Amino acid sequence: MKPRQRAFVTGIGVVCAGANNVAELRSLLARPRRNFRSPTVFPCQGETANLPVAEVSGIESDEASDIPRTHRLALMAAREAIGSGPAPDAIVLGTSTGGILTTETALKAGITSPDAYRRHGLDTVAAHLAQALHVRGPVLTLSTACSSAAVAMSVAVALLRAGLASRVLAGGADSLSRLTFHGFRTLQLLAPEGCAPLDANRAGMTVGEGAGFLLLESTPTQRPVLALMSGTGLSCDAYHASSPHPEGAGAAQAMRRALDDAGVEPPAVDYVNLHGTGTVDNDAAEAKALHQVFGAALPPLSSTKGLTGHPLAAAGAIEAVISVIALTDGLLPANTGLGTEDARLGLAPVREPTRAQVSTVLSNSFGFGGNNACIVLQSPGVQATAVDENAAEAVHGSLPALRVAGVACFTAKGGLDDTWNALVSGQSAAGFVPDAVFSKAVQAAFVRRLKRLPRLVLALAQTAYAASSEQLPPEFLAVGTAWGPLTETQDFLRKLFESAEQFSSPTDFIGSVHNAPAGQVALFLGATAPNLTCSAGDRSFAQALLCASLGVAAGKKSALVMAAEAHEARLSPLFDERAATGPLASDGGAAFLLVPDDALPGARVRWRGEFGGSDLEFLEKFPALKLSGHYDAILVSVPAALGPKANEQVSKLAEAISPCPLVAIRDRLGQHASVGATAVALAARAVLEGRLPFAAPPIPLPRKRLLMLELGPQTAAIEVFA
Amino acid sequence: MTEPTDPLISELARKLVETLGLDMAPESVDPAAPLIGAGLGIDSIDTLELVVMIDRDYGVKIDNRAAGVEAFASLSGLAAFIRQRRPATPA
Repeated sequence: MKPRQRAFVTGIGVVCAGANNVAELRSLLARPRRNFRSPTVFPCQGETANLPVAEVSGIESDEASDIPRTHRLALMAAREAIGSGPAPDAIVLGTSTGGILTTETALKAGITSPDAYRRHGLDTVAAHLAQALHVRGPVLTLSTACSSAAVAMSVAVALLRAGLASRVLAGGADSLSRLTFHGFRTLQLLAPEGCAPLDANRAGMTVGEGAGFLLLESTPTQRPVLALMSGTGLSCDAYHASSPHPEGAGAAQAMRRALDDAGVEPPAVDYVNLHGTGTVDNDAAEAKALHQVFGAALPPLSSTKGLTGHPLAAAGAIEAVISVIALTDGLLPANTGLGTEDARLGLAPVREPTRAQVSTVLSNSFGFGGNNACIVLQSPGVQATAVDENAAEAVHGSLPALRVAGVACFTAKGGLDDTWNALVSGQSAAGFVPDAVFSKAVQAAFVRRLKRLPRLVLALAQTAYAASSEQLPPEFLAVGTAWGPLTETQDFLRKLFESAEQFSSPTDFIGSVHNAPAGQVALFLGATAPNLTCSAGDRSFAQALLCASLGVAAGKKSALVMAAEAHEARLSPLFDERAATGPLASDGGAAFLLVPDDALPGARVRWRGEFGGSDLEFLEKFPALKLSGHYDAILVSVPAALGPKANEQVSKLAEAISPCPLVAIRDRLGQHASVGATAVALAARAVLEGRLPFAAPPIPLPRKRLLMLELGPQTAAIEVFA
Repeated sequence: MTEPTDPLISELARKLVETLGLDMAPESVDPAAPLIGAGLGIDSIDTLELVVMIDRDYGVKIDNRAAGVEAFASLSGLAAFIRQRRPATPA
């Protein structure tokens, strides 16, 4: 098999415990010394204060800045990766914490002004970078717990291969927070003396923080090429919400997929940077997976988390930077913290920093939800077979339409039929989804521990499947959610604060990660396919569709794409005040089982772009969309957060597209960040029926073609046609 | 039930059902049956949830595998485990 197009790594940037830039990390790797200590970014009381973390030092204190810590760490590393070069044309970021540390402090202090929470959302990290670095193209946020950054890099490579960008800033960032520290503590996964990956007496992980970025380019520019990102591989265990598959099945699958994607045989790997968290289960499962992939001939390998701690969503990016240093410096990094090697693992990790010729590196990242992501980095001069220029994903800047094989949506009025009928009869579908609508869909025992969002998402997945004739699990799974599982987040923090930060619920912690619902869907469907969660505010659904379309463009035969929000009485009004209060406050979402476009009848959906810039700058891009005379109507989804300014934007838009009708969908469907998915579900039905009933008066659709625009700081466009 | 009920066992049964959201009446938990595994469908996360509850409500820590095996052998075993280790409560 020919390798597919590689991405050129022309910049790297990093911040982690013990190193605030690449030069410091280089020295640290050459002379490892770790500095784990009690957390200082949030107060700790009693015996919990004795648990060490891997904290970044020497940066501006949190009190001195109104920008959350994750955002600041991200910008430090991003600036270093870009250097003096021009702005990238896209950002793909993995994060799991967003502004949670700032949010925790505000909640604890009882602050009720939404202004204090305006940078809570995961999307605000990438938005902060886009603003500071003048990035106008797609700005994507992935959140798959500890594999987030590696998943983000995989999406970045796909964007480059599809010709949707030529210069992508890809990486991850996470800060320490009470949620993750106490969460892993309640799971009894924190090592009292600091982590010792692969050690016979390993007693858990050490939570870390930081950020890492790679500047990835499709063609080498004037900047020196540091490395090639040759391939990536994603998989899902579909085994358990938080524990890895005991035989490492998903991990092995992701490693094999990454090596295949890169066109690299296992014996060609010179070094493996392990996920190696230091928990009993992770290291055991990863060891089994390595033996499956490499057989008896294991390459040199190590976990560098004994040095950096586990920086969660940033881990994959920081370790990608470490992998690039391994290639450029000819260095095998040490497995810091190792005392007595666990003989049962049979791994023989690198004990001391070792000089060696390193041309091909495999880097592993695994996360909650059984979410696995591996990447292959190589020296620029590596000899390999010719790259397959005619690979399926060479779509040259636009993505294929996908046929809707099954669709579901939930609104205050019920499922798709009930919602459709309510709208036809002139009613509003705004409001919260009644429990009865989604609680009957899945077995009670299966959902016992699940709260509102995962239940909604599971029921949507099941309903979309039931509406299709598909039997097999999807080959790609992408879930969009702006706010993630808010009930779990609120319950975890409430219990924590009620107990003077001593106790909280491990179930709520596991459930609080943004990709927990997607992990539940994978479990339910037995889907070991790539499993992505996009959290980009109101564009979360559009980005899930983008990722799935990239997957189909690269050969996947089916994709389950969904987006949903679950209202939470305390947090929703703080995080998204204008949407979550008032008569239009809503939740719900939609799911689509999508297949490659074929001759079969049915609606089609197609991701048409994400345009940055202020006001209506994106209109300039519309000639490419053949806006005039092409669509029967434009559906416009206007987030309440845009405020009164949006009215002006919408009237300018209406003027620009006249005489094509413009339908403001949130007036009828309600306000929540994933309502665009619901609009697309209804549009997919409307183009088949030839009329748009939720406009007053109803609009005939002779061309059977609609465009949905999600407005905001970035505008996303999705086409629906039959 | 013919035997006199141990109030701690009843209390633990109630907390077990409540903490884990089990769809059953507390009285129907067999005090002698294994807590973890197929019977009640309790897995490792549920176990940790119980560990937190026992630490919070009784001041008894279960922080290693051996202690967990002993503590969660059965509901009556858990009651005995807590009684043995419970810090003296002010009268």
